[in-house]
Amino acid sequence: MSKIIEAEDLTKIYAGNLTAVDHVSFSVDEGTLFGFLGPNGAGKTTTIKMLTTLASITSGKASVAYHDCAKEPNEVRKSIGIVPQDLAVDDDLTGIENVMLAAKLYRVPESIARKRAEELINLVDLKDASKRLVATYSGGMRKRLELIVGLIHQPRIFFLDEPTLGLDIQTRAVIWDYIKRLNKEHNLTIFMTTHYLEEADSLCDSVAIIDHGKIRISGSPSELKEKVGGDVLEIDVTNGASLTEFFRSIQGVKEVKQTGSKYRIKIPRAEEALPTIFEGISAKGLKIREVSLNKPTLDEVFLEVTGRSLRDEPSGAEDSFQRMITSRRRL
Amino acid sequence: MIAETWALTVRELKKWVRTPALVFIGIFQPIIWIALFGSAFNPSNLVPSSFGAVQPPPEQLNQIRQSILTQTFGGAPTYITYLTGGMLGVLLLFTSAFSGGSLVWDRRFGFLNKLLASPIPRSAIFFSRVLASVIKGLSQSVLVFFIAILVPNGLRLSPEFSMIDFIAVFFTLFLVAIGFSSLFTAMAVRVKKWETLIAVVNLLNLPLLFASSALLPISSMPDWLQGVAKVNPISVGADVSRTLIVYGSLSPPQTADVLFGMTYLLAFAALTTFIGVITSRLALKAE
Ligand SMILES: Nc1ncnc2c1ncn2[C@@H]1O[C@H](COP(=O)(O)OP(=O)(O)OP(=O)(O)O)[C@@H](O)[C@H]1O
Ligand SMILES: [Mg+2]
Repeated sequence: MSKIIEAEDLTKIYAGNLTAVDHVSFSVDEGTLFGFLGPNGAGKTTTIKMLTTLASITSGKASVAYHDCAKEPNEVRKSIGIVPQDLAVDDDLTGIENVMLAAKLYRVPESIARKRAEELINLVDLKDASKRLVATYSGGMRKRLELIVGLIHQPRIFFLDEPTLGLDIQTRAVIWDYIKRLNKEHNLTIFMTTHYLEEADSLCDSVAIIDHGKIRISGSPSELKEKVGGDVLEIDVTNGASLTEFFRSIQGVKEVKQTGSKYRIKIPRAEEALPTIFEGISAKGLKIREVSLNKPTLDEVFLEVTGRSLRDEPSGAEDSFQRMITSRRRL
Repeated sequence: MIAETWALTVRELKKWVRTPALVFIGIFQPIIWIALFGSAFNPSNLVPSSFGAVQPPPEQLNQIRQSILTQTFGGAPTYITYLTGGMLGVLLLFTSAFSGGSLVWDRRFGFLNKLLASPIPRSAIFFSRVLASVIKGLSQSVLVFFIAILVPNGLRLSPEFSMIDFIAVFFTLFLVAIGFSSLFTAMAVRVKKWETLIAVVNLLNLPLLFASSALLPISSMPDWLQGVAKVNPISVGADVSRTLIVYGSLSPPQTADVLFGMTYLLAFAALTTFIGVITSRLALKAE
C-alpha cells in the first residue's frame, strides 16, 4: 500500500517559542483509517492544520495525497475534505445552501452536487431541517451538517478533528457506518482525532498517541495493546508451592504479581498461552479456583504512555465544551 | 476564479437581504441626510436681508441668494441637488467601509479556515467581498437617487439629463464603490477583531466626508484643506455626478473634466484593487 500521508520530523513552533508539534514522523496508508490520539493541547489540531495547509510548517516535511504540503498546497487542497474541531458552517445560510456552496467552491457540477447533497442530507437525517437556517440547528445537527459539507466533493482524504464530539450514540454509529462504507467502497483515507478511545480502537487500522507535541507510540490498536504488556490474566489457585517462577518461564509473560493465592500475569495474546498454563498447573497437582482474562483497552495504553487517562477527565467536560462552541455561535 | 468569487458573493448578498433592517437602514440613512440636512442647511438663507445700514431691495436679495447656488455650488438649482451628487458617493463610502467586515467574522468562526483549506484562489475571497459591497451600495444609491427626486425642493435633474448621463453617473459611483470597497477590504483581511475594524472605519469615514465637496464646495475651504479635498475620490466622484446631474448635456471643457474625473477614479479603483490583491495574498495564508 502506498503512503498517502507522510510526515517527517514535522515541527510547528508558534510565535512566542511555543513548540506545539515536535519532530513528529508517521505515515498513513491509502485507504486506511488513522487515529490521532492525545490529551488536550497535545498538538493534534496543529498537526492537522499543517497537513491541510492551514498552518505553515516550521521544519520537517509533510506530504498529503502525494504532494508536498509546503510546495504544492493547492494540489493538496483539491484532494482533501475537512471537518474542523470548531464548527464552521455558516449560520446565516440554510443547511442545503451550506452544502451547495461547498460544492461550488470545489467545482462539483451543479446536477451532480444536487443529487449527492440530497443523498448526504438524508444520510445524516437532516432532510426536514435542510431548508432551515443553520442558526436554528442544535449542536449535533451542525456537526452532522459539517460532516457532509466536507464530503460533497468526494475527497481522497478526509480529515476529521473530533468528528463525533457531542453526538449521540445512534448518530455516531450512523456516521461511522457511512464513513466506513466510503472507506471501503471509495478507498477514502481517514485521518481523525477523537477522545473516544473505544471508537478509535474499533474503527482505526492504526493509531498514534501524541503528547506534548511528540508521538509516544504508534501502530495498530492491537500492536499498541501488546506493547504496553498485553492482556491481564488473573488466576486464583488452591494453596501450594508458589507458581511465580513457573509463570515467568512461560514465553511472552511480562510481569507476574502474587497476592496470596492470586496471581496477576501480564501477557500478550493470553488465550494462546492458556492451554500451557492450565496444563502446567494441573501437572503440579494444583487446582484452579477462578480465572479471569482482561484484554487491555486503548485507555490503558493511553494511560501508560501519557500518564493520564482520558476517562479521568470530569465527565461533564465534553458537554460543556460542546455548549461553549454552540453558545459562541449564537452570539 | 469567477465561479468561486460569484458563489461567495451570492453568500454575502443572501446574508444581506435576509437582514431587512440592514437594507432598510442603508437606504434610510442617506435619505435622512439628504432630506434633513439638505432642507435644514440652505446656503442661500445665509445671506441676511440687511447688511448694516444697507438694505438691498428684495428682488436683488433673491438674486444674490440664488447666485450663491449657481456660482458657488456648481450651478445647482437647489442645495439638495448639490448634496445628492455628493451623498451618493458618501453612501458608497459608508457601505464600502464594512465591505470586509464579514471577513473578520469568518476568521472568528473558522469559516475562513475552510475557505483557505479549499483550492479556491485566495483573491476570490477578496473579490467576493468587494463585489458584494459594490452591488449592495449601488442598488441602494439607485433607490436613493429616485427618492431624492421626490423630496420637496429636492433633486432637480437638468432637463437635458439623458439615459447616458444616468449611466455615466452610476458608472462613476461604481468606480468610487470599487475603490473604497477594495481599500477597506484590504484593511480588513489583516484585522482580527471587529472592534478594530470599527475604529479604523470611524477614523477614516468622517475626514473623508468633510474633506470633500460632498457637503460644501471646495472653494469655501482653507487652502491646505483644498489640496486634500481635491484629491479625495469622494470629491471627484461628487463633482462628476453633479456636473452630469446639473447640466445634462456638457460643454467640451465640462466633458473633459468629467472624463478626467472618471479616469482619476478608474486609477484609484485599480490601485486599491491591486493593493487588495497583494494584501490578501499576504494575509490570507497559513498561520
Ligand atoms: N494559533 C496558535 N498560536 C499559538 N499557540 C497555539 C496556536 N494554536 C495552538 N497553539 C498551542 O499549541 C499547542 C497544541 O494545540 P492544539 O490545538 O494542536 O492541541 P490539540 O491536541 O488539538 O488539543 P485539543 O484536544 O484540546 O483540541 C497548545 O499548547 C496550544 O496552546
Ligand atoms: Mg484540537
